Amino acid sequence: MLQEADIGVGISGVEGMQAVMSSDYAIAQFRFLERLLLVHGHWCYRRISMMICYFFYKNLTFGFTLFWYEAYASFSGRPAYNDWYMSCYNVFFTSLPVIALGVFDQDVSARLCLKYPLLYQEGVQNILFSWPRILGWMSNGVLSAIIIFFFTTNSIFNQAFRKDGHAVDYEVLGVAMYSSVVWAVNCQMALSINYFTWIQHFFIWGSIALWYIFLVVYGSLPPTFSTTAYKVLVEACAPSILYWLTTLLVVVSTLLPYFLYRAFQTRFRPMYHDLIQRQRLEGSETEISSQTEVSSELPAQVEIKMQHLKANLRQRNQ
Amino acid sequence: MEVEGGNTSANDAVARKISIQSRRAKVFYQFTQQNLPACKPVLTPSWIVTTFLLMGVIFIPIGLVTLRTSHSVIEIVERYDTECIPEKFRGNKVSYIKDSTILKNCSLYLKVPKHMKAPIYIYYQLDNYYQNHRRYVKSRNDQQLLHGLKSNDTSSCQPEDSSNGLPSVPCGLIAWSLFNDTFKFIRESSELVVNRKNIAWKSDRNHKFGKQVYPFNFQNGTFIGGGSLDPSVPLSDQEDLIVWMRTAALPSFRKMYGRIEEDLDADDVIAVHLMNNYNTYSFGGKKKLVLSTSSWLGGKNDFLGVAYVFVGSSSIIISLVFMLLHVKNPSSFAGRLSFPL
Repeated sequence: MLQEADIGVGISGVEGMQAVMSSDYAIAQFRFLERLLLVHGHWCYRRISMMICYFFYKNLTFGFTLFWYEAYASFSGRPAYNDWYMSCYNVFFTSLPVIALGVFDQDVSARLCLKYPLLYQEGVQNILFSWPRILGWMSNGVLSAIIIFFFTTNSIFNQAFRKDGHAVDYEVLGVAMYSSVVWAVNCQMALSINYFTWIQHFFIWGSIALWYIFLVVYGSLPPTFSTTAYKVLVEACAPSILYWLTTLLVVVSTLLPYFLYRAFQTRFRPMYHDLIQRQRLEGSETEISSQTEVSSELPAQVEIKMQHLKANLRQRNQ
Repeated sequence: MEVEGGNTSANDAVARKISIQSRRAKVFYQFTQQNLPACKPVLTPSWIVTTFLLMGVIFIPIGLVTLRTSHSVIEIVERYDTECIPEKFRGNKVSYIKDSTILKNCSLYLKVPKHMKAPIYIYYQLDNYYQNHRRYVKSRNDQQLLHGLKSNDTSSCQPEDSSNGLPSVPCGLIAWSLFNDTFKFIRESSELVVNRKNIAWKSDRNHKFGKQVYPFNFQNGTFIGGGSLDPSVPLSDQEDLIVWMRTAALPSFRKMYGRIEEDLDADDVIAVHLMNNYNTYSFGGKKKLVLSTSSWLGGKNDFLGVAYVFVGSSSIIISLVFMLLHVKNPSSFAGRLSFPL
């Protein structure tokens, strides 16, 4: 009798519902187990590991910009952004794309997951949630925060930021930096996922649009409530071309390191799902199995061992 | 399913309803089966090279245009807090600045490097002045700025909320530390007219400072922190105060003082008669006078242009390197699975 397991799967059937009642997942027929494991197991592993890494990344990016700002505010504790911006960060502007990643993302389609069961080894060997990966995402967050903070504060320093000569103040810098953070974090999501339905588009671009809508709405509340955000987008930032150019520069510069890493990684050290995606794109069936010398039926070590044995047998027969 | 001749409209309506329902059911089915129509982009080498090249091609021109614009802005920056103290007081600047019996006037001479087109903006720049300190920023009362003495709760302004037993309007450290150096500009023995109206944000003037609120009991205490205000002018017209109270972001900041509405020619010498009243000597702050034209991008700052050019050229270099490596290693993913087998 099974005493211990990571996951319990029960099959509801003629013999009753006892297994189902004490299991984590219940399926109706034994043949559904293949799909549960190879398709949903793989997807679930990738989604959860990516979601956790991304969560660390986006909060590090946001938090470290606050930290660098403190160095310029004599560590008095003045936040770089208005209080309401900070409260709404994790709720409105960056939560929906994470849901798009964690619930809907598919790196490889269901049909291909079943066709290449070796993909499941990514989960067994914990490739997508290894320490180098986690630390890589965290350092990406810290690096993004550094780029965002220093590029924004150096572009929008103390000079006039508009044609009419108004000089930069706290409100404008806060909005510029926060907009860059929201854009960078959401565009990073767009770079990380491989599966775009209307849901993903709506969540990602909608979150960015929601930030601007929020600024307009919050800025139109009376100044005793909105304090430093009063009319900041409508009056101060939107007519300023420097603000938009700075946002573009900062967002692209922030995403450049990750994009560079992804480019070199998928080209020169692709992972199994990268190979499958590329093969699907190119449409050639035999390329992947012949070039990687890995059969999709047995684990590679077994295959190599079998080839050795076959070679030995052939030699002995000669 | 054949639809008969008669009752075609009713049958059509039913068929349409069924088709709408079946379409909705179909979409719902696709959603629950995670089979929605999707775009699945794959990062191929051609996409990578195209993206980097596109970034370079877009960013470098933007950077060059921005750099050129920034160079077209003419700026005169003159630090005056050290020169404007007479020689005999240089040893003890703090006591000089605090002594109200000494007249603190001073003269500077600015040479205009190139032709400056009107309007020319006059700013005062303060360095090492932490107007973004949390305790400093907290020390104001927005209700009182709008409604004056009618608002009772000015506890956030303490200790600058009252003096000699009477409440102060406007209260708080920000107002109390109002910058009070003044500047007069003279070119060839005729004074340049400085427009001191409309230097504050319109929304601040109209909505944050009351039109019926007058300064009361302001700067009357034992410690003088800065300038005083004319009690007959309502707060919404006290533009210096409004500009000062919009706190700065970083320890080095500029605030608008006024505008010169005429052109200045190259090699003009502008004599500045200023009153060096404000005490930045106690904490090692610096005071600078800035005259600047403005472009469609604002003031003079080369960083944006340089950064754009840098990012653009790096992208092009990266795309060339990538293309080179890609061409040199034709199918280097053969047998190179990145998880241990």
